[in-house]
Amino acid sequence: MAYFDHSATTPVHKDVLDRMHEIQSNSFGNPSSTHKKGRQARSIIEEARNQVSSSIGASPNQVLFTSGGTESNNQLLYSIIGNAKNHIITSKIEHPAILETLIKLKNFGIEYDIISVNKEGTIIFDEIKNCTQSNTGLISIMLANNEVGTVQPIKKITDYAQSNSILTHTDAVQCLGKIPVKVKELGVDFLSLSAHKFYGPKGVGILFAKNPKLIDPYILGGGQEFNLRGGTENTAAIAGMGLAAKIANDNLSQTKKHLDYLELFFKNELIKIFPQTKFNENIQSKLPGLISVSFPKNKSSILLSKLDRLNIAVSNGSACGSGIIKPSKILSAMGIDNDLNLSTLRISFGTKNTKEEIKTLLSALDSILIK
Amino acid sequence: MTDSIIVGLSGGVDSAVAAATLVEEGYQVEGLFMKNWEEDSKYCTSEQDYKDALQICNCLDIPLRSINFSKEYWEKVFKKFLDEYKLGRTPNPDILCNTEIKFKAFLDYALELGANKIATGHYAINSFVDGYQNLIRGDDANKEQSYFLYGLNQKQLSYALFPLGTWQKENVRKKAFDIGFLNFNKKDSTGICFIGERHFKDFLKNYIPSQPGDIESTDGSIIGQHEGSMYYTIGQRQGLGIGGVTGTKEMPWYVVDKITNKNKLIVAQGKNNSQLHHQYLECSRLHWISGHAPKKKNLQAKIRYRGNDSACNIKLKDSGTVIVSFKDPQFAISPGQSIVFYDKKLCLGGGIIDLRWN
Repeated sequence: MAYFDHSATTPVHKDVLDRMHEIQSNSFGNPSSTHKKGRQARSIIEEARNQVSSSIGASPNQVLFTSGGTESNNQLLYSIIGNAKNHIITSKIEHPAILETLIKLKNFGIEYDIISVNKEGTIIFDEIKNCTQSNTGLISIMLANNEVGTVQPIKKITDYAQSNSILTHTDAVQCLGKIPVKVKELGVDFLSLSAHKFYGPKGVGILFAKNPKLIDPYILGGGQEFNLRGGTENTAAIAGMGLAAKIANDNLSQTKKHLDYLELFFKNELIKIFPQTKFNENIQSKLPGLISVSFPKNKSSILLSKLDRLNIAVSNGSACGSGIIKPSKILSAMGIDNDLNLSTLRISFGTKNTKEEIKTLLSALDSILIK
Repeated sequence: MTDSIIVGLSGGVDSAVAAATLVEEGYQVEGLFMKNWEEDSKYCTSEQDYKDALQICNCLDIPLRSINFSKEYWEKVFKKFLDEYKLGRTPNPDILCNTEIKFKAFLDYALELGANKIATGHYAINSFVDGYQNLIRGDDANKEQSYFLYGLNQKQLSYALFPLGTWQKENVRKKAFDIGFLNFNKKDSTGICFIGERHFKDFLKNYIPSQPGDIESTDGSIIGQHEGSMYYTIGQRQGLGIGGVTGTKEMPWYVVDKITNKNKLIVAQGKNNSQLHHQYLECSRLHWISGHAPKKKNLQAKIRYRGNDSACNIKLKDSGTVIVSFKDPQFAISPGQSIVFYDKKLCLGGGIIDLRWN
């Protein structure tokens, strides 16, 4: 299987797997227990907190473990309920964990505005200014988009927000290990990560909060995680994430170089076999190795099926629970018409992909594309 | 090279076993799950069907694809369904779904995916004899589904495989259990697929507003109120809300006619009431599977899926309609429903009922 769908999820790194296996076998204690087994589990979790926080340049007490990016986004947004400044600004290309949550939060008095993006998927900064109200309390814009990879001008946003006393959040789940994710440089107040996007396990992530006191508990229970997230900690998954974050951070420049190379090679060759190819991207500011590519006159669902037969995994937009492909809202927001939208594949390379695999992908595309 | 077959998988037991038999026969098989209806609630019911289909494919080690035809279904099937209801007729969308969706949109998509043929879990048989694609009744007399397939043409049949044509339903379930399909005792879908378990009238009210009017007995006296004559079907007994009308016998009331332009529902008592039975009908929009009308004129016909075979004689009119005279009067002939003609086991085609009389 040639796997080019790393933006959906990544395979777990071998060292991470070994570490998790060992913890699952030997360190089963409840981290809240005060006996030796419990203390052992607790120290594993706190070590992981150190690893994750240092990978994003935060302090350990600013990192809250959650079940993943979706929960982190939910928890942050729910924390805005009851604030005097209950107006939120976000963008059209955010993950449903933001946009769907905001719809629900209308019932709790939250107001929000959704700003547009240009045809390269970059947010239109002036719209943030235009949408700002006296009660704007939060701007939540993703660091990089999951379908087209456009990296957003977060620093510019946080500078603006700070001078207007507005808090900022960024959903950075696509980013760790591909571009620098340093909370101080970004200037954000909150940030979400998900371990399975950086070669860690599924079902675990973090919510970074510069000031954790601004966060309300979302899952109530036994007071774990500074009283902010009830439920017995998943020690092995948390430790796996810690190690995965460390590896991702340590290898950042090497990974970026590798992904850049694969991307460039793929694009150059693809243009030769299918000159009508259209890349949906902001070439100046994008994640390495994530390619949104439209093939006019071809249906992405057919291409996907034919590639699947050849044991090649890519994706198109986001599928619902019944595997049905809908036109991507992100591509629509970028002004791409429905036909081209449904002719688009997302190809996302990973650290283990090789040039040989890319050649396999290219020759497969060459054989199935209707030219 | 082995034929590459795409099986329409609904998540139900029939299409699952159809796929299994094709895999056993050595075909290269892929499943295709089709969504024809956009959910109107937050809870996605098609997701469970998809997961059932996926379990089947994993059991058989074949891939599963998905496709959304809800736009096509809405345009080509549902709109026509509503139009017919508004005219006071009783359409059968499942027949249209076969000709417009399963054996058109789905077939085209399967061919685009590189399939040579498609297969479904219908209980029917097709065979190629003397240069013609024939559609024959399935062997399980209780389940056989040729009635729903009478709208297919030669080309559509030439691409179709019906692996369950010679199967009995009980053996299908047994086979599903033996293979390890988790859906082996999943309930058969009943009625119109997209309505599911909902109350039919309530569903229809979402699209055709209620319009209360009188229920009249055949002697012209008003004996009740209805919510809109289009919600009712000729021959319908339940849901009329009539009971204990003074001066009438203790016998159930049946809808015998709908006068749509006056929004009246006409009812009569007793299943054997002569006003519920007609010997003649006229149908239009004829479709003959072979491409032309049969030479033989003494045939059998079914006027509803669960109906019996009735001996009849057909007369083709120049206008393209067909006059059918039955040997015996037929219960509750409903305009809008399909009449399907047979010569013994051979399904010849059919049409849509417009009028009936004695």
